[in-house]
Amino acid sequence: MSRSTIKAWFLIHKWSSILCTAFLLMLCVTGLPLIFHDEIEALTEHDAAAAMQGMPSAQGGVPLDTLIAKAVAEGGGGVPLFVGFSHDNPILTVTTGPTPDAPEAQMRLFSYNRTTGASAGEIREEGVMHFLLKLHTDMFLGLPGMLFLGVMGGLFVLAIVSGVVLYVPFMRRLRFGTLRKTRSKRVRRLDTHNLLGVVTLGWALMVGVTGVINAFADPLTYSWREGQLKEMVAAHGGDQPVAPANYASVDAAMAAAQTALPGVSPQFIGFPGGGWSSGRHYAIFFQGDTPLTSHVLTPALVDAETAKLADTASMPAFTQALMLSKPLHFGNYGGIALKILWAILTLATIWVLWSGLQLWLGKGARGTDRAVDEIVHAGAGS
Amino acid sequence: MNASRRIGPQRAASVLAVPALLLVASLAGLILGLTGDGWRDAAASLLLALPVLFFLRSWLRRS
Repeated sequence: MSRSTIKAWFLIHKWSSILCTAFLLMLCVTGLPLIFHDEIEALTEHDAAAAMQGMPSAQGGVPLDTLIAKAVAEGGGGVPLFVGFSHDNPILTVTTGPTPDAPEAQMRLFSYNRTTGASAGEIREEGVMHFLLKLHTDMFLGLPGMLFLGVMGGLFVLAIVSGVVLYVPFMRRLRFGTLRKTRSKRVRRLDTHNLLGVVTLGWALMVGVTGVINAFADPLTYSWREGQLKEMVAAHGGDQPVAPANYASVDAAMAAAQTALPGVSPQFIGFPGGGWSSGRHYAIFFQGDTPLTSHVLTPALVDAETAKLADTASMPAFTQALMLSKPLHFGNYGGIALKILWAILTLATIWVLWSGLQLWLGKGARGTDRAVDEIVHAGAGS
Repeated sequence: MNASRRIGPQRAASVLAVPALLLVASLAGLILGLTGDGWRDAAASLLLALPVLFFLRSWLRRS
């Protein structure tokens, strides 16, 4: 690698890092407690779901129409927007809002025990964990905040890739794993930065890339709605909106969909006019029955006035990538051991970011040419 | 010990051999954990622990 190539990659590494480091540190610090979201919630709040006896709400229980009517009444009128199912416990959630296209801020979320039909209370999005999640997702800025953090994630990925490119000339005369114990704090810091960065490469790339995909969830969902969903609707008699007063039975719609898709169970229902459906249909999203396909959704469109099935279709690759990106970003799919490793790797990333900042600004910081010398001549004496 | 750490110039492929191994192990672990429970989760954690163990080994042996 020529000196000018190294210099170019050094500048890419330096500037992509400088631009994203402050936000990445925020993401790591807020992400750390979010890894243990479920555990912390089980400790601090009444863990209603775990105490419930009965079958998973995705399998059956009290009719959906009954619980939806309850939620609308509890919410003081309005319309149902989403129904969410659980595959572990009898909890069923119903989201309501003043209008079919209500923004998230106006939505209310009610939970029920589907086996008994008893109310399990309104789920309020508040408290420390919710604050951290909002900060981590969009910094309380909505879609612009999400997209901005997505761009920061993209720079993080660029910083990782350019870091690996620079690792090659740096390590040319050093064995893997060398941490030189010299009097120079800068050399020790640089060695640790490089080693820790390169061993955590796979995990950091995966969390970085899936974080970027998650940040673009809204535009991806929108393009699915404008693309595949519109085609499905157009092929089945158009999109004349159905007034909430004329909504057909959701249980009948579910039965129609399950006849067409045997062997899968529902994950959520998007009501007409919302972000996950057309103006005319219930969109019932089913998940597969293996651990891998449980992250891949198949929607069934059911006419919301007649409860007749319109169409089912596998989702396109980009929405499936979005579904798979969630667990791969959060690390909540492999038990507590995986979560602890996720936390250790997050701490390691904080160290890499922090030491990078110190290499740039701290004692012994140097200009571009001397920094390039440092990479080219590492291990060659001195 | 110190002298043995300083070696002749290596090709990019040998510099990246161990990092590439750890990269593949991490990604395999991440995806394996997603495809099932039980032994797959245990294997996922073991594979993802490798980077941490490699770092600790170097840290304890730093010259």
